[in-house]
Amino acid sequence: MKRSTLISTAGLLLAAYVAVPLALGGNQYVMSMVVAALIIGGVAMSWALLGNLGGMVSFGHAAFFGVGAYVSALTTVKLGLPVFAAMLLGGAGAAIAAVIMLPVLRLRGPYFALAILAYAHIFRILATEWSSVTGGAGGINNIPTLPTVFGVDLASKTGAYLVVLTLVVACALAYSRIRASHYGIALRAMHDSEDATRVVGVNSTLLKGAMLLVSAFMAGLFGAFNAHYINFLEPDYAFNSLWVTLPIVAAIFGGYRTILGPVLGAVVVYLVDQLIFKSLIPTGHQLVLGVLLVAMIVFSPNGLLPLLQKWLKKTVAKEKTHA
Amino acid sequence: MTELILQALYSGLLQGGSYALIALGLALVFGTMKVINLAHGELVLLAAYIAYSVESGLGLGPMFAIPIALVIVSLTSVGVYLIVSRIKKDREINSLILTYGIGVILTNFILLVWKADIRSTSSSWLQEGVEIGPFFSMRSEVIFFGVSLVLMAALWRWLSTSWYGRAVRAVSSNRDAAKLMGIDPGRTELVSFLVAGILAAFAGVALFSYGVIQPAYGGALTVKAFIITVLAGIGSIPGVLLAAVLLGVAEALTVTLASSALQELSGMVLFLLVLFIMPNGLFGAQRRRG
Amino acid sequence: MLELDNVSVRFGGLTAVDSVTLKVGSHDVIGLVGANGAGKTTLFNAISGLVRPTSGSIRFEGRDIMATPMYQRARLGLGRTFQIPQPMHELTVRENLVVAQRFGTGKVDMRKIDEILDFTSLADKAQRDAASELALTELKALEVAKALATNPKLLLLDEVLAGLETNGKRRFMGMLKDLHAAFGVGIVMIEHDIETISNLCQRVAVLNFGRLIADGTPDAVFRDPAVIESYTGAAHA
Repeated sequence: MKRSTLISTAGLLLAAYVAVPLALGGNQYVMSMVVAALIIGGVAMSWALLGNLGGMVSFGHAAFFGVGAYVSALTTVKLGLPVFAAMLLGGAGAAIAAVIMLPVLRLRGPYFALAILAYAHIFRILATEWSSVTGGAGGINNIPTLPTVFGVDLASKTGAYLVVLTLVVACALAYSRIRASHYGIALRAMHDSEDATRVVGVNSTLLKGAMLLVSAFMAGLFGAFNAHYINFLEPDYAFNSLWVTLPIVAAIFGGYRTILGPVLGAVVVYLVDQLIFKSLIPTGHQLVLGVLLVAMIVFSPNGLLPLLQKWLKKTVAKEKTHA
Repeated sequence: MTELILQALYSGLLQGGSYALIALGLALVFGTMKVINLAHGELVLLAAYIAYSVESGLGLGPMFAIPIALVIVSLTSVGVYLIVSRIKKDREINSLILTYGIGVILTNFILLVWKADIRSTSSSWLQEGVEIGPFFSMRSEVIFFGVSLVLMAALWRWLSTSWYGRAVRAVSSNRDAAKLMGIDPGRTELVSFLVAGILAAFAGVALFSYGVIQPAYGGALTVKAFIITVLAGIGSIPGVLLAAVLLGVAEALTVTLASSALQELSGMVLFLLVLFIMPNGLFGAQRRRG
Repeated sequence: MLELDNVSVRFGGLTAVDSVTLKVGSHDVIGLVGANGAGKTTLFNAISGLVRPTSGSIRFEGRDIMATPMYQRARLGLGRTFQIPQPMHELTVRENLVVAQRFGTGKVDMRKIDEILDFTSLADKAQRDAASELALTELKALEVAKALATNPKLLLLDEVLAGLETNGKRRFMGMLKDLHAAFGVGIVMIEHDIETISNLCQRVAVLNFGRLIADGTPDAVFRDPAVIESYTGAAHA
C-alpha cells in the first residue's frame, strides 16, 4: 500500500475507534443511530461486492440478512452457544442459503434478480410458518445480547458500536483482498465477456458462486449482529424490504464501485432518513428514499459521494492555480 | 375431495385471467425495451386503489372506476417510461434498480394516501355468488375473467393488424432491422408502456372487485407477473394465459389443500421448479442463459 | 493429439457440422478452409467447448473431452482465439495475460509473459487498456498472446488475419510462421486466403456445408475438383 493511503487509513481507523466514542459516546440516541447506520452499511457493502465482483444485482439481500439473524438467534436461544460463535454461524447459515441459490447463477440480470427475490419471499414465509422452530409470526424474544469482554460491556451502545465497526473493517479488508487478488481481476473481466475468461481457463461459474457465498455470509453476519443488538426478532422485521432498499440506496449514494463508499453512503443516507425524512413523512418516508434512488440512477449512477469528491478535487485544484 | 380440487381449479382459472393481463403488460415492455418494469405491480395496485376511492368516495361500483383508472395508470406508466428512457449506460442493470426505486415510490405513495389497512369492494352485487354448473365463484370473478379474455383477444388483434401493434412486434424481435424500416423504437416503447398501463388498469380494478388489497401487495404482483412470463417463455398470448392459469390454479390448490399462508409460496416454488427443469419456459424457446 | 470422430453439430433443423473425422498431431500446422457458413467456426466451438456436438466423439491426448467444460479444456492445453477479438475488459494487456496464465496453467511466470509480449509485438503496449486502447492488429495479437499464455499444446486460430491490411498481415504471417517453432504448439488455423494457407500449413482440411471434403497437402487439396467446385460455387443443395 502507498504510504499516503496507509496514513489516511490509520487516521480513519483512529478516528472511528477512538474519536467517535469519545465524542458521541455520551449521546445514546446518536450512538444508536450510528450503530444502525453501520449495520446498513455492512449490508450495503455486501450488496456492492456482489455487484462489483459477481456482476449480479440482487433485490433479495434481506434473505441473507434474515437467515443470518434467525440462525444466530436460534443457536443462542435453543442451543446456548456463545454470541460471537453464533454470529459466525449466522453468516455461515446465510452462505448455505446462498448455496441453494447457486443454480440461479446462470440466469441473466433481471431473471437472477427476481429469482433471488423469490428465494427471499420463501425464507420469510418459512420463518413465519415454521413456528415450532422459529417462533412463527410472533418471533423470538430475549435473544442474548453481546457479552462483556475485558470489562467492556459490548451490549452498551458504545460497545455495540465497536463490535459492528470491527465487523465493517474486517469485511472491508476481506473485500479489498479479494478484489486485489487474481480472482478479483478475473471477476472484473468476466462482466463483459465471460467466454473470454473461460477460454483461458477461468472457471467463471465457480468464481461467481463464491462471490454469492461471500456476499451472503457478510449480509448474514450483520443480520446476526442486529439480532443480538436489539434482542428481538420477527419475520416481518428480519426479512423486511427496508433491508433491501436502504442498502441499495446507500451503496449507490456512496458510490458502489468503491469498498467504503457504501458504508459512508449508509451513514449519510440513514442519518438523513431518520432525522429528516422520518419527521417529514412518518409513514412512507421510504418514498423519499425511492425518489433519491431514482434521481441518482438517472443523474449519477456512480454515486453522489464520488461526484462530490470530484467536485471537491476540482475546487481545490482551481484554488491552487489561483493562489 | 375431488369437488374441492375441481373448485380450486375453477377459481384458479378465473384468477388466471387477471394474472395474464398483468403478465402481458410486463412482457410487452420487456419485449420492446428489454427492461423489466419492477414497478408494474404497483401500477396494477394503483388502479385497484383508485377503484376503492371511486367506490368509497362516489359510491359507484368499481366498473365506473375503469375509465379513471385507465387514464391515471396509463399516464403513470408513460411517466415511468419517460424516466427509464433517460438511462443511457448499462441499461439492463440500471433500469432494474430504477424501476425498483419507482416501485418503492409508488408503494409508499399508496401507503401515504390510502393507509395500510386492507381493503376490498363492498359491492354486494359483485361479491354475490354465481354458480356455473357445479362451480361456485363471485360474480366479479366471472365478469372480469370475461373482460380479460376480451382484452386479450383485442390485444392479439392489435398486435397482428395495427401499425403500432406490428411495430411493437418488430422492435421486440429485431430492433435494428425495425429502425431500418422506419420504425421509431422510442415511440414504440412508449406505446408498449401505454398498453401495459391499460392492461394493468383493468387488472387492478378486477383485483379490487374480487380480492383484497394492501399497499405491500404491489411487489408480490410484479413477482407473479414475472413468474408467469418465465413459465410461458417468449411467444404467444395463449401461452401467457395458460401460464397465468397455471399459477392461479397452483395458488388455489395450495390454499385449498395446504394453507392460505402458503399461497405466495406456491408461485415461488413453481417459478424455481420451472427455472431448473425447463429453463426455456413451458412453451417458449428463448435463450435465457447469460 | 486431437481426434475428432464423426462429430456432428446440429442446431434444430440446421446441420452445421456433419460427421467430421479429423486427426491433429502435436507437430501439425493445419489449415481449415471453406466457404462462409461451411461450419469452420462451429467446429472450433465444438472442440473448445462452447458448443456441444450432437453426436460423435472428441478426444484430446487420449481422453474423451465431450463432457469437459470449456475452462477445463483450456487448462488441458486447448487454446483458442475468437474471430472477433474478445479482450478482457477493464484490464491492461499485461493483466490479460496474467489472468490467462494464472488460470490456464495455475501459476504466474512473468518471464514467460514478457516472452509472449515480445513475440506478439505487444511489449510496448503492455500497460494499455486492452479493450479501449488497441488497434485491430494489436487486438488480434492479444488474442494469440492470451491463448499462448495458457501454455497450450494445441492452438485453434480463428481467422486471425481477417480484416488486417497488407503490412499488418505480413507481420502477422511472419509471427504465425514462427509460432510452432517458438512454442512447440500444434496449430489449426481458419483462414480464407489460399496463398496464406499454402505458405504456412503442411496440411489443409476443407469443409463444405459442414462436411469434410478434403484433407491433404495444400497442393493436392487445392487441385481437387470437389474443392474448386465448392469455392467457385456450383449448384447449391
